[in-house]
Amino acid sequence: MWITMGPQHPMTHGLWTLRVKVDGEIVTDSEPELGFIHRGVEKICESRDFTQITPYCDRLCYVSANTWAQAYVYAAEDLLEVEVPERAEYIRLIAVEIQRIASHLMWLGAYTPDVGNLTVFLYCWRDREMFVDLLQELGGSRLHYNFPRIGGVKRDLPIGFAQRARAKINIFFDRLREYERMLDESTIFLIRTQDIGCTKAEDLIAHGVSGPNLRAGGVNYDIRQANPYSVYEELDWEPAVESPSIKGGDSYDRYRVRMEEMRQSANMVLEALDKIPGGAETHHAPDDPAILAKAPLRAPEGASSMHRFEDSRGEAAFHIIGGGEQRGKYPYRISIRSPMFITIPYVTKVLIGHKIADIPAIFGSFDPCIGETDR
Amino acid sequence: MATSLSTSANEASVNALVAATEKRFGGAGIEISTKKHAGGRHNHSYLTMTVPAQHLKSLAKWLKHEQNIDLCSLITGVHWPAKAPEQEWEVVYHLVRTTVRNPPVVEGSQTVGLRVDYNALPVSQTPLEIEIHVLLPSDSPVVDTVEDIWPSASWNEKETWDLVGIEFSGHQNLHRVLLPADTPVGYHPLQKQHKIRYHEFNEMYDDPQGFGRKPIDKDRVK
Amino acid sequence: MAEDDQNFTTFNSRGLVDVVAGVTDEALKATKLKQFIGVLAGRLFNWGQRKSLYPLHLGIKCCAIEMGASAGPRFDAERFGVFFRSTPRQCDVMLVNGPISKKFADPIVRLWEQMPEPKWCIAMGECAISGGPYFQSYNVLEGVDTLIPVDVYIPGCPPRPEALIDGFAKLRQKIMMIGTGKPEASGEGPILVGED
Repeated sequence: MWITMGPQHPMTHGLWTLRVKVDGEIVTDSEPELGFIHRGVEKICESRDFTQITPYCDRLCYVSANTWAQAYVYAAEDLLEVEVPERAEYIRLIAVEIQRIASHLMWLGAYTPDVGNLTVFLYCWRDREMFVDLLQELGGSRLHYNFPRIGGVKRDLPIGFAQRARAKINIFFDRLREYERMLDESTIFLIRTQDIGCTKAEDLIAHGVSGPNLRAGGVNYDIRQANPYSVYEELDWEPAVESPSIKGGDSYDRYRVRMEEMRQSANMVLEALDKIPGGAETHHAPDDPAILAKAPLRAPEGASSMHRFEDSRGEAAFHIIGGGEQRGKYPYRISIRSPMFITIPYVTKVLIGHKIADIPAIFGSFDPCIGETDR
Repeated sequence: MATSLSTSANEASVNALVAATEKRFGGAGIEISTKKHAGGRHNHSYLTMTVPAQHLKSLAKWLKHEQNIDLCSLITGVHWPAKAPEQEWEVVYHLVRTTVRNPPVVEGSQTVGLRVDYNALPVSQTPLEIEIHVLLPSDSPVVDTVEDIWPSASWNEKETWDLVGIEFSGHQNLHRVLLPADTPVGYHPLQKQHKIRYHEFNEMYDDPQGFGRKPIDKDRVK
Repeated sequence: MAEDDQNFTTFNSRGLVDVVAGVTDEALKATKLKQFIGVLAGRLFNWGQRKSLYPLHLGIKCCAIEMGASAGPRFDAERFGVFFRSTPRQCDVMLVNGPISKKFADPIVRLWEQMPEPKWCIAMGECAISGGPYFQSYNVLEGVDTLIPVDVYIPGCPPRPEALIDGFAKLRQKIMMIGTGKPEASGEGPILVGED
């Protein structure tokens, strides 16, 4: 019997349909149906300037907007051959890591109600507001900032930002310990997540899964180290990896990887605020060459670039081919690699053999975001 | 400090793969070159190959089994109407060599997480990026599927067929994935002859939604 | 079911209800109590409707995050009686918070039709008002008002949670005006948040 968990469903975290074939309580087959918010961004961007595309990339994965905008901007800088000043790289890193914390908090706040723990939902939204306030100071809006520019950033760190960021992150460390204690000592949470949805590392990479879902399989593969960009190697950090059980990485491992990643990101932000060239208290004007380099407007025909990025959910990549309309001011083709578009069909295979009640526990632990899936 | 891939290790692995490919597929019409990431602070190289469509499958199998290229990251389809009729369609495969292996089983039942230093790996196992371009003629935009080699290519190929119109022969289940299922057959929106709504700016003044246009705006271009 | 004139002896409860209702109706009309009860019950129902608007648990795109934030602990919408329900059968308000693609046009109309009367629709965010940044797309409809009648438009990309709560407040005012039965209130067009 096929059950349709239709587009409007409180569990699916986004607008898509999951059809499962059940035999009693056990899932025997499943099939996703995507495309309910397909906006044709790739086609629209063929009629937009390079700077006009950045807001569209914010809205691809709306939960972690900064990482997608920066993934695009790195690819555009490859195409237009722009070198970014170091202070701008540090500011971008701070924005990306704060956004990663906010995205993982949102995931935790959406995952724990699926497995039955409604308290953490409210706690996570409260803490997410702290980081959204920090990002609002940087970017101007709560959710879509249009923060990076080709060649740098929109504006410098505001006065007093470092002090506020440090205070909030110190509060956040205590809260993170509280949530870990709360969930790790909860028998129900452990029963619902351990040994559920086991995945082995080689299966994951053959099916294209990357990011925290892959690191939960016991493999230390992080694009910030394997295809390095920005100033990550000047900071002291390690990708968060979990040793899995013999059956593979389960939902509990994916939860642990994300908690550890939040801690790593918070440490990275504190360290970057200390190491930023020029100090965190100086404030340059928006067009200062210390934070924004000049970038050409047009890309010649025949130029193309491809850049990978470690997004909160996996490997995001942009492939831009230059030489479009208006003598190269618009790109000819922009192709977007979304980690969740590849992961969701894989997860539907992982579901087979589990009970219906395990479906939210498995799917939530992979952190789906449908905005980037449908583009 | 984090051990990210250094430029020299990257160069060494890229050159090794270029040499190996030229040795194995020397006269088959494959053009290989290296490109650098031009922006930012790290100018790492990656491999670019242009392959005729009939050699794609054997090249893909060799890359996967002999050279450990284990991730097919993205498949892009591009429509070049200006290059008709010989090279109107292009498929770009973006492949990555990762260092992902199942962690070893020690101490009976528990496995241990793998910590990797990318600069200490042998040259044939260092992380690496590859782009493979396949150019197809206008009358037959068909290429062999690679979903049996890399399972992640399956949905990428569905999306490429759905939006661009390039067919993948041998694919199990090519169906509309992003567009609605009842889209007319033969409609692939990313082809260049389909334009977006209000493509000509003057159209915005043609009152499709009843905004009144003033007589002073007659013959004006936005 | 047997015809009324064919079965004189069976107990037809429908007929009994009709008779009792008819008699009561006449009695109430005679004493003008019916009008009084009508106004009182109408006011009571109107108070109930506007003080406890139950929106649908529908999250289409980015504005859904702001909808969630408005239900979160900082911009608590639940103190206004707004409580999200998962099934359309129990909802009064449908918050459309994202672009409507051609694939989703059919499900959203079906959700709208599954909601019982009285129902209202709030278009939240630019994509629902007019297609937003994707107005040129081949797959996005230009606004949800091409499909269903909208009562309140909340502009913003995304609108702040305070703007969403203001939208609920304006919807409450609109419901209140319907309840008073003033003739000029019923023909009023949709409300745009922020235009005062």
